[in-house]
Amino acid sequence: MQPAPVCSAAAFGSPPLQARGLVFAYDRKPVLENVSLTLTPGSLTALVGSNGAGKSTLLHLLQGQLVPQEGSVLLGDQPIHRCRSQVALMPQRGRIDWSFPITVREMVALGQVQGARTSCCDLDAALQRVGLLPLASRRLDALSGGQQQRTLLARALMQPARVLLLDEPCAAIDPPARQQLLRLMRQLADAGYSLLVSSHDWGEALNVYDRVIVIDRSVQADGTPAEVRHALTALSDLGNHCCG
Amino acid sequence: MPSRPSAIWGITAVVDAMPWWLLPLLMALLVGVLCPAAGTLLVTQRRLLQANLISHAVLPGLALAMAFGLDPALGGVVSGVLGALLAERLQRRDGRSHEAVINTVLAGFLGLGVLLIPLLDLRLNLEAVLFGDLLAVGVADLMRTLAAAAALLGLVWSAYRSLVYLGVDPDGAAAVGLPVRQLRLALAVVTALVVVSAMAAVGVVLVIALLCAPVLPGLQRVASLRTAMLRASLVGLVLSAGGFGLALLLNLPPGPLIGVGCLGLLLPGARSR
Repeated sequence: MQPAPVCSAAAFGSPPLQARGLVFAYDRKPVLENVSLTLTPGSLTALVGSNGAGKSTLLHLLQGQLVPQEGSVLLGDQPIHRCRSQVALMPQRGRIDWSFPITVREMVALGQVQGARTSCCDLDAALQRVGLLPLASRRLDALSGGQQQRTLLARALMQPARVLLLDEPCAAIDPPARQQLLRLMRQLADAGYSLLVSSHDWGEALNVYDRVIVIDRSVQADGTPAEVRHALTALSDLGNHCCG
Repeated sequence: MPSRPSAIWGITAVVDAMPWWLLPLLMALLVGVLCPAAGTLLVTQRRLLQANLISHAVLPGLALAMAFGLDPALGGVVSGVLGALLAERLQRRDGRSHEAVINTVLAGFLGLGVLLIPLLDLRLNLEAVLFGDLLAVGVADLMRTLAAAAALLGLVWSAYRSLVYLGVDPDGAAAVGLPVRQLRLALAVVTALVVVSAMAAVGVVLVIALLCAPVLPGLQRVASLRTAMLRASLVGLVLSAGGFGLALLLNLPPGPLIGVGCLGLLLPGARSR
C-alpha cells in the first residue's frame, strides 16, 4: 500500500506556486501551450482571457485536479499532487447546485471535509471574514449572488490553503457585490494569501490587482495592469467590461 | 443445530402467528420509509435517471438467477449495478449524451430480461415484477428490505458529508480529493438493493414513484440533506400506510394505489402555480 502523499511545503509558511512549461490538450485539441508562471505569497493576480482561452483548465492544472501532458506544477519545491489541500479552487458559480438543501454554515464547513473536525471558532472566523456570520443559518439559495460567491470564498478559507484560485468569481453578480468581493480579495492578499482570479472581462477594475496575466493558450502578457495595458495593442479585442 | 436456521424458524413461527395483513403492512411501511430516503439522495445527487435504469436493468439478473437456482434478488442487484456501470462507461466515450445512453441501456437490459424468460423457460410473472404484489410478500422480502435499509444507513452514516459535498459541488468534491467514483458506485449498489427489495411490494415501475414523489414537496424548504431524508421518509410512510389502508377498504391492489397517491402529492403544488 502506498503511503499518503506528504507535502513538506506547509512547513515553510506560504511558498510560491510555480507552473513550468505546462502543455495540455483535450482529445488532441491543444488548450495550453508552454505556460509558465509563478504566484508569490501576498499577491492578487488576475488571469484574463477570452472564453476558451484556457483559464479554467490552467486553474485546474494549478490545483492538481488535471495533470499536464508536459511541464510541472510545484508548491515550493513539492509537486502539486502532494500538496493539493494547500491550494483551494473556488469553482465557477454555474458548477454549483444552489438549490441543494444546505445552510451557509454547513456549506462553509465543507471546506474541511477531509481535514480535522471543524471547530465552531474556525467556522465563525471564516464566516466573519466574508461578512456572512449573521446569515449563517440561511439556506444557500436564499442568498444573493454576491453572498453566494462569498460563501464559496469562505469555504476555500476553511481549507489549510494559502493559495486561492478563483474561477470567474465576479461573473453574474451586480456591481456593488462585485466591488465588495474585490475588496475582500484585496484584504486576503494583504493578509498573505496568494490569489489568482480568472476573468474574461477587461476594464478599470483590473487596477485593483497587483499583477495581470493575459492568456490565450499561452501567456500573452504578464505584468502590472499598466504594463500589460501598454504591452497589448489590441485591448479592444478583450472587451471593456468591469470586473476582475 | 446451527443458530441461524433456528432464528429463521423462530421468525417464521412469529409471522405465522400474526394476522394476515400485518406482514404486508410492515413491508408497506418499511418500503414507504426506505424508498423516499434513498430517493432524496438520488434527487440531490442528480442520479434519478440512473435509478430508473437500475430498476429496469434488474430483470435479466432476476431471470438468470432463477434459471440457475440462485436468489433472484442477488441476480437483480448484480444486473442492476452492471447496467449502471455499463451506462457510465458508454457515456464517457466521445462525450455521448447522458440521457440517451442511459435510456438505451435501460431498453437493452429490459429487452434482454423479457427475452430470457421464454428462452430459459422460466415461470416469471412479469406483471408482479412491474407492479408488485404487496399482499403476497414473505419474511424473506422483509429481511431483504431490512438489509437494504441497513446498507443505506451505513452509506449515509459513513459518508454523509462527502455525499453533501458531491451533491452541491461535484467538481469541488473531486478537487479536494473525495473518492467521487467510489461514492457513486456505492450509491448505485444501495439503489439496486433498495429497488430489488421494494420490488416485491410495489414493483419496478412504482418504486420510481416512491423514490421521487415524497422527496419533492419539502425539498425547497428544508435546511439540510438529513432533514430532507427524514421529511421524505415521513411523507412516504403516511402515503404507504394510507394507500395500504385504502386498498383494503376498497378491495384494490395496494401497489398501484400507492403509485396514484404519489402523483396526488404533486398536484397541490401545480394548482398553486
